[in-house]
Amino acid sequence: MADVGNDSDPLLYVSGLTRTFGTLAALSRVSFYVHAGEIVGLVGRSGAGKSVLAQILGGTLAPSAGEVLLDGRRLCWPFSQRRLGVALIPQRTILAERLDVTANIFLGCERGWPTGLGWLRVPDRVRMEQQAAAVLAELEVNLDDLRTPVKQLTSEQRQMIALARALVAPARLVILDEPGALLSYSYQQRLLALVRSWQQRGTAVIFVTGSLDHIFAITDRVLVLNEGRIALDTRTDSTTREEVVAAQIGHDERRQLTPIIWALESYYQAREQAERLRLQQRRLEEDLAAQGSLNQQLVTQLARQVHSLDQANQALQDAQRRLFSQREEERKHLARELHDQVIQDLLSVNFQLEELEGAALDSADREALAAELAEARASVRALIDDVRRICGALRPPTIDSLGLGAALQSYARDWSARTGIAVHLQVGPEVGRLPEAIELSIFRIVQEGLANIRKHAQARTAWITLAAVSPRAVAVTIEDDGRGLPGHVDLAVLARQGHYGLLGISERIALLQGRLRLTNGARGGLRIDVEIPHPRVTPAG
Amino acid sequence: MDKRATRIGLGQRQARSVARLSRQSWRALASRQEIIILACLVVAALVIGLWNPNFYQATNLLNLARGVSWFAVAALGVSMVILVGGIDLSVGAVMALAGVLCASALHAGLPVPLAILAGVAGGLGVGFLNGVLVARLGLPPFIVTLGTMGLVRGVTVGITNGAPLRDLPPHFRALGQHDLYLGPLSVPLSLVIMALLAVLVSLLLDRTILGRYIYTVGRDEQALRLVGVPAASVKITVYVLSGALAACSGVLMTAWLGVAAPTAAEGYELEIIAAAVIGGASLFGGEGGVLGVVLGTTLMLVVRNGFVFLGLPTYLQSGAIGAMILTVVLMDHLWRRRLARG
Repeated sequence: MADVGNDSDPLLYVSGLTRTFGTLAALSRVSFYVHAGEIVGLVGRSGAGKSVLAQILGGTLAPSAGEVLLDGRRLCWPFSQRRLGVALIPQRTILAERLDVTANIFLGCERGWPTGLGWLRVPDRVRMEQQAAAVLAELEVNLDDLRTPVKQLTSEQRQMIALARALVAPARLVILDEPGALLSYSYQQRLLALVRSWQQRGTAVIFVTGSLDHIFAITDRVLVLNEGRIALDTRTDSTTREEVVAAQIGHDERRQLTPIIWALESYYQAREQAERLRLQQRRLEEDLAAQGSLNQQLVTQLARQVHSLDQANQALQDAQRRLFSQREEERKHLARELHDQVIQDLLSVNFQLEELEGAALDSADREALAAELAEARASVRALIDDVRRICGALRPPTIDSLGLGAALQSYARDWSARTGIAVHLQVGPEVGRLPEAIELSIFRIVQEGLANIRKHAQARTAWITLAAVSPRAVAVTIEDDGRGLPGHVDLAVLARQGHYGLLGISERIALLQGRLRLTNGARGGLRIDVEIPHPRVTPAG
Repeated sequence: MDKRATRIGLGQRQARSVARLSRQSWRALASRQEIIILACLVVAALVIGLWNPNFYQATNLLNLARGVSWFAVAALGVSMVILVGGIDLSVGAVMALAGVLCASALHAGLPVPLAILAGVAGGLGVGFLNGVLVARLGLPPFIVTLGTMGLVRGVTVGITNGAPLRDLPPHFRALGQHDLYLGPLSVPLSLVIMALLAVLVSLLLDRTILGRYIYTVGRDEQALRLVGVPAASVKITVYVLSGALAACSGVLMTAWLGVAAPTAAEGYELEIIAAAVIGGASLFGGEGGVLGVVLGTTLMLVVRNGFVFLGLPTYLQSGAIGAMILTVVLMDHLWRRRLARG
């Protein structure tokens, strides 16, 4: 079912869909199709028409023009979604506040008896509560009492109730409108797993989201809306983040820069135009006054965004500074290493050679000479080993030729021999060659994680796993049986105390748009979970 | 913002009563308006009885019970309309229309059950018209039912040429005048019919899916729309039920009076709405119960009756009822604010 390019008729066929509010066109002539078992990501800037499209397909908003065919049948608004097998999970969850959890989950598709009486049926509370409990358990939502009025729940729990609705009445088409916005990381993962299971059951999913990670993690196709039009409709495999972002922003921004005045033929025309412009401006000002409150909101929102951007910028500068100082540190280290070891050794070899020179002039004792030579050669060999080790620390030699798995294996072996801490490394067979930057980063993350274990954990064993969690993401887990974390970890606090190991890991992950989770694992020690998305995997040869 | 918060405050209390009626009904009940109304009723009856013991005479109590029965039947329908956030001003006119239709049918020689059906059908029709105009076309319920009130009244006068229809068969009059003897007690038949209808409405509201939707549509219409429950159909159903119950009330009234006047029940709509509000239905929708409506109606009629026994001028009646409505709404409001704060 997951095969997208099949020839069968699409489950959902949208053609020429248009919706206007007053003179504003929120959607204009949108056409696309969705097959059963297909996950279609819908992205766009805010105001691009994503939610309007979701509402129309969910049956809560009628279009101004165009038609939608579900399984070949034309839809008329408003339609009863649950009867047609359509489930809409909106951006802002609207629940019936006075009803309890069960009643909300089953709202619109209550189980009751006697059958055939429609709205006059008596709700079968026991059966509904059992089913609701099962579904909530599947979603890993813990509610003490299914009879709690929903207004006492958190916004996350409310969102999960909206999701549960799509589970109690199997849907053929699920529309998720920015579902991750209110959910924590673990529930987001649960949501993605849920979407995948829907796909396997042949349910089509339209996934409206602002997260490119989610788009590239699970969708089969991407639709990009820009100002109510479809700017891009392509298979996720054959596009890139850059292309999707570019389509969201649009290409016609440049045109506005052309001065309008050049197009005018004469000064009089220009004056006329100016008069008209003034009039328009006055009208606009009136409009503006009316929209004052809206603008106020926008301005505060903008201010908030600018503030968070400032913060991000600050963090970036800090990271930059730290990187610089780290590099200096490394250089110093390298210089010291070269000075203390290589140069000293070279000096001593030189000294030995000088002696040999003297001895060769005498050339009386050939055996002593041979011994001296052998010693000098041994020194040179040791020297070569030293230089090799330093080079290896600078850049893992095996990673370019043999790949990440082999590099990790050899590093882990060396490290284990050096520190006496056993390392169990497990690299999933499905992990093939990754882009160079990612391979290097993962190697460094493991390096830093192991260094962290050696310095702080007092562990005897460390476990490292590397596995592909989806076709477009890899997961790295580093765990030990040491002390673990004392409690909640604040990376900023660690950084202030001069511990850069975990911070370095987190920065590397942030650069790759991945996710980091620090927990105390089942084996007692710290468990570092890393998930890194990447464009594509070529299967291991 | 504050207003909204206070409304939600009570919503929780009510939500429990909807969700857990089976087990916790007594607890939810104790904290509700019904208890206050019942207390007022007892106090009023004691005061009036002390002043004039004739109040307790059997004939007066029987008359009171008959009045309450048809008044309460209409109030049940209106309270459901109020539950879905609407209002029905056409009930008085529908009562008169149903009475006149029923009487005309009887004069035409139809048997009593069919004549009653004719009256109720008229109410159903008016209710359907109200519902479609309000729910499908989105017109404001106050204006729509004000219009149908005038329209129906006009049609009723037109049917009878303005003259009341008399000489109704005794079989039919028994419906409003006959008493049942339960041991030593004599209970008006109309009161039994009212109780039956009240139980039916109560079952509908508390035990069926439709009842759930009716309670939800008044407050969370968006939530219903989101899951594809046609809120308009729920509302139309409620207006139709209101029309039908008003018609039943009109039939009972006609049977009691023994005459179907086209001007009957004029101005009753406001008193019926008042009875529903006093009994706990909130004009903001989503709240109210059957018991409260019956108690509210009884309180209003007792007070009206009491004015006669206390020898007070009748024009003070409407003033007293108005004051009662304001008091109840104010108390309700303060109580909710306290709940929202607590």
